[in-house]
Amino acid sequence: MDWTMWVEWIVKGFVLCLILLTGFAYLTWYERRALARIQVRVGPNRAGYQGLLQPIADAVKLIFKEELTPGHVYKVVFILAPVLTVVPSLVLAAVVPLGTSFNLFGREITLYVADVNVGILYLTSIASIAVYGIVLAGWSSNNKYAMLGGIRSSAQMISYELTLGLSFVTAIILGNSMNMIDIVNEQRGLWFVVIQPVGALIFWIATLAEVNRAPFDMPEAEQELTAGYHAEYSGMKFALFFMAEYQKMIVISMILATLFFGGYLGPFVDQVPLLGPVYLFAKVIILLFGMIWVRATWPRIRYDRLMSFGWKILLPLSLAIAFITATGILLADVLNNQLFFWSIPVVSIIALLVAVAFIYRDLRRKSHGRI
Amino acid sequence: MTAPASTTTIDLVSRFPEFVTADTRPGFSGFIVKKENLVEVATALRDEFNFDLLSSVTGVDYIADNKMEVVYHLHRTTGGPGIVFKTQVDRVDPMEVPSLIDVWAGADFQEREAWDLLGIKFTGHPDLRRILLWEGYEGHPLRKDYQEAFFEEETKPFKSRWPEGHHTYAEFKNPFRDNIKLPENFKLDNYQPENEDQLYFSLEKSSMKHTSENQMGTDHMVVNMGPHHPSTHGVLRVAVELNGETITSLKPVMGYLHRNHDKIGERNTYLQIMPFTDRLDYFNSMANNFGYAVTVEKLMNIPVAERAEYIRVIMAELSRIQNHLIFIGMLINDLGSMYTPSLYAFEERELILDIFEAVSGARMMCNYFRFGGVVRDIPADAMQKIKDLVHDRLPAKTDEMERFLNENEVLVGRLKGVHVLNAEEAIRNSVTGPVLRAAGVPYDLRRADPYSVYDRFDFDVAVRYNGDMYDNYLIRFDEIRQSLRILEQALKQIPEGPINSQKPQYQVRVPAGEAYGRVESPKGELAFYVVSNGKPNPYRYHVRAPSFVNLTAVETMCKGTKIADFVALLAMLDIVMGEVDR
Amino acid sequence: MSEWIYVALFIAVGLIIPIGAIAAGFILGPKKPNPIKEATYECGVEPVGEAWIQFKPQYYIFALVFLVFDVEAVFLFPWAVKLGQLGLYAVVEGIIFVSILIIGLVYTWRKGMLEWL
Repeated sequence: MDWTMWVEWIVKGFVLCLILLTGFAYLTWYERRALARIQVRVGPNRAGYQGLLQPIADAVKLIFKEELTPGHVYKVVFILAPVLTVVPSLVLAAVVPLGTSFNLFGREITLYVADVNVGILYLTSIASIAVYGIVLAGWSSNNKYAMLGGIRSSAQMISYELTLGLSFVTAIILGNSMNMIDIVNEQRGLWFVVIQPVGALIFWIATLAEVNRAPFDMPEAEQELTAGYHAEYSGMKFALFFMAEYQKMIVISMILATLFFGGYLGPFVDQVPLLGPVYLFAKVIILLFGMIWVRATWPRIRYDRLMSFGWKILLPLSLAIAFITATGILLADVLNNQLFFWSIPVVSIIALLVAVAFIYRDLRRKSHGRI
Repeated sequence: MTAPASTTTIDLVSRFPEFVTADTRPGFSGFIVKKENLVEVATALRDEFNFDLLSSVTGVDYIADNKMEVVYHLHRTTGGPGIVFKTQVDRVDPMEVPSLIDVWAGADFQEREAWDLLGIKFTGHPDLRRILLWEGYEGHPLRKDYQEAFFEEETKPFKSRWPEGHHTYAEFKNPFRDNIKLPENFKLDNYQPENEDQLYFSLEKSSMKHTSENQMGTDHMVVNMGPHHPSTHGVLRVAVELNGETITSLKPVMGYLHRNHDKIGERNTYLQIMPFTDRLDYFNSMANNFGYAVTVEKLMNIPVAERAEYIRVIMAELSRIQNHLIFIGMLINDLGSMYTPSLYAFEERELILDIFEAVSGARMMCNYFRFGGVVRDIPADAMQKIKDLVHDRLPAKTDEMERFLNENEVLVGRLKGVHVLNAEEAIRNSVTGPVLRAAGVPYDLRRADPYSVYDRFDFDVAVRYNGDMYDNYLIRFDEIRQSLRILEQALKQIPEGPINSQKPQYQVRVPAGEAYGRVESPKGELAFYVVSNGKPNPYRYHVRAPSFVNLTAVETMCKGTKIADFVALLAMLDIVMGEVDR
Repeated sequence: MSEWIYVALFIAVGLIIPIGAIAAGFILGPKKPNPIKEATYECGVEPVGEAWIQFKPQYYIFALVFLVFDVEAVFLFPWAVKLGQLGLYAVVEGIIFVSILIIGLVYTWRKGMLEWL
C-alpha cells in the first residue's frame, strides 16, 4: 500500500461528501420546485436561472445568522447533537457502490469507498446511531416541545428500524451475501423488486419513518410540536439537522436502489463504467420524487397509530415476507421447480393484502388509536 | 319586514308572579327577573318552556338608573323566536348575580366576559377569572364611568381629530407624554405582569390526575400551546397538562388580540361600526355586515330594498362557500399535509374574493352593507362572473375536492370517531353552527328563525349525526352544496330596482330601544345586541361571537385525548381570533 | 481488513464537515445575546415546571421490545447468508426461533403495552 492509495481514498471520500452536500442543497431546491408544481404554485425561481442559486443563497444566509444557545440547555450535548446526527447520515454512503471501476491515468479507481463484506450489518449499525443525535438534541434543549419531539422520534425510529432490518434480511436472502456489490451483481438478471415487490415497499415505508418524512414526520410535527426536537436550534446547527434529514433521504434512496432496483446497473454499464453513477442517480431521483409526492399529498398519521402500524402491521408483515422469501428460494432450489420461485411475489402480495384488510377493518370499526 | 320579537307569547309573569315582571321600558321587551330567583326561572325556562339553547349572556351598565343589568337571550333548537330575560343589581360593588353555569354550561365564557368587562360577579361560577383582559388589570372597561388611558371624549368623532375642520392622524400624537393617564403607583418602566398562578391553579384543579387511575405516578407536564404556535389559528393560547401525550387538563387563554370591540362600538356612530364589524371574523366580513345591518334595521324598523336583500344573500352565501373551502384546506393542513389541499382551496377562494372586490372595492374588509340595503350594485361583469362560478366552476371543484379527499385513509383514520360531541353536550355548551349540526341538531337560523329573504329559497339544512370530526368535515361540503342551491335560486329570482330603501346618509336616526339580531354566519350563530338611547352612538353594543362561545366546549371535549387530536379539534371548531378576542 | 481503514477514513472526513460548519457559523455569525433571546421557547410564554420529567413507563417498554427484535434481526443476517448451504432444516429452525419471539410480541400486544400513551 503506497501513499498514492491514501491520497486516492481521501480524495474519494471528499468527493463523495461533496456529492452528498451538493445533493442535499439541490434536493431542497428539487423538493420545493416539485411541491410547488403539485400545489399550483411556482416555487423559488428568482435566484439564478430557475432558482438554481437558491440553495446557495440559503446556505450563505444560515452561515451568517446569529446562533442562539439558550441559557438553560446542557451545552456540551447541545452542540454535540447536530454532529452526531449528520455524521451517520454521511458515512452511511461508505458502503454503497456507485459503480464498478474505471481507469484513470493507468490506475484502476473503484467507484465505491469500501467494499466491506458485511456491508448491510454496517448500514444497520450506523443507522441506529442517528437516533442518538435526535434524542440528545431533544433532551439537552430543556424545552418541553423538544423533549416530546425527542421522545417521539426515538420511539419511532427504533420501531421502524426493526422493519428496516428485516427488509435487509429479505435482500440478503435474495442476494446470498451481505456485501452490497455482490447483491448488485446478483441483480444482473432480474431486479429484486420483481421477485419481492412487497419487501421493497416495506423497506420504502420504513425508510420514510426512519428519515422522519411525511406522513411519518411526527418528531417535527409543526402543527403540534412547533418544530419538535430542533425547536431551540438556530443558524448553522439547525442547518445541520436539516442537512442530516435530506442527506439521509438521498443515501437511503441509494440503498433502496442498490438493494432492490439494481443499483448502478443499466444498459452498457459494463462497457462504460462511468454510466454506473448516472444510472444510480437517475433511480435515486425517481425514488426521491416518490417521497416528495407523498409529502405533498398525505396528511400526517397520528402518533399512536404510527406506532401501532409499525409494531402490529409492519413488523409481522416483514417477518412473514422474510420467511416467504426464504422458503420459496429453498423450495425452488431443492425441488428444482421455478414455480416455487415465482410463487414468492404472489404469496407476498397476498400477505400484503391481508395486512391492508386488517387496517381497513380497523378503520371501519372507528376505533380510538388501535390498529 | 322586521317584526318585533314576539316573546310575549310566553307568559312568564303569570308563571312566576312574585318575582318576574315584564320589561316595559319603551323599545324594550322581555322580562325582568329578581336575581334571587334567577336559577329557578332559568331552570323552568329550560325544562318547562324548552328553551334549551342559551344564546347570549351580557351586561349593560345603566349608570343613570344606578343599575347594572344582565341580559340573557334564550332560543329553542327546534326553531322559532327566542326569549329575553334580564336581571338587575344595584351598581355597588360587589355586584353579585347567581351564575347559570349549572343550567347551561355555555354560560361559562360569557359570564367570565361579563365579569371581566363589566365587573358583574357571578356567584357560583367555579372559575371566575378575567378572560379577555389579563389578571391585574385595573377596572372594568365597559362600565360607563371607566375612562381609558387615552380618554378624550365619550363619543366619536373626537373633536381633537378635526382641528379647524382638518384631519390629523392619531399617530402624530406622542403616546408617552402627559396625555396618558395611568393608575396610581403605576410605573411603566418597571412593569411586571402579574404572575399566572391563578391560571395554573385552575388548570391543576380541573386535572384528571386526581380522579383517574394514576398507577405509576408519573410526572405531568404543563405545556403552553400558543400564543405563538403555528396551529392555534392566531394568538389563542391553551395551557395544557399532559401525561405522556394524553391531555389531562386544559384551559384556553385568550385576549391577545383583544381591542374591546364593544367599547369602540359604543364610541362610534352607528354607521362607523359597519366597517368595524369586518374585523371580527375577517374571513367573512359579509356575514358580519349582515348581522349588524339586520340588528340595526330591527331597531330602526325600516324595510330593506328588495334587490338588496338578494344581493345580501348572494354575498353571504359566497362568503360561506369560501369560508368552508378554507376550513377544509386548513383542517387538513393541521392534520399535517403540507398545504396542498389548502392551496387548492385558496384558488377557488381567490375567485370569490375577486367578486367581493368588484362589488365593494375590498377583498376581505368589504364594508358593503348599509342600513336598508347595500352600498353599490353588482356590476354586470361581476354578475356574469358569479353566474359562471355558481353554475360551472364551484360545483365541479367541490366534486373534485370530495373525490380527492373524502376517502383518504389517513384522513378517515384521523377524523373518524375522534372528538365525538353528542347533541345534548353541544346544546348544553351553547355550540352553534356546523359543529352543532354535525352533532345531529338541524338548527340553522336560515330555517329556524328566517331573516332576510331566506324563507323564499328551497334548500335543506345540512345535518350529520355522529358528531365526530369526520362528520364535521363532511358537513362543510354539504353546506357548500346547499349554499350553491340558494345561490342558483337567488341569481334566478333577483329583481331589478333600487339597492337601498333609504337615502344615502352619514348619520342615521335610531330610536331608543334594544334589539338582538342574529344571522347564521359560517362559524355559527352571530348575534349583535344593541341598545340605543336615541343618540348618534349606540348605548351598548355587544357581539355574540360564534367562535368565542363554541370554544366553551373545548375543555370537556379534549380531556383524555391525544395532543395531536387537540390541534385538529381547534381547526374543526373553525375559530377566528379576531372574533374570539374582539 | 484494509477496507475498514477506508471506512474509518471516510468517517473522519465526515466528521470534518459538521464540525467545520459549526465553526464557520461560530466565527461568521453575529453574537448579541440577551436574556430574552436566551429564554426557553414555549410559544412566547414563560414556562412553568421542568422539561426533564419522569416520562410514562411505556416508553421504556418499547425500547426493551426493540432490543429483543433488533438482536433477532442481527441473528437472522448470517442465517440468511448461509441459507443456501443449510437447506430447509435452517428454515424450520428459523421459524421456531422467530415464533418464540413472536409469542413474546403477542404477549406484549395483549398486555396493551404496544399502545402509545
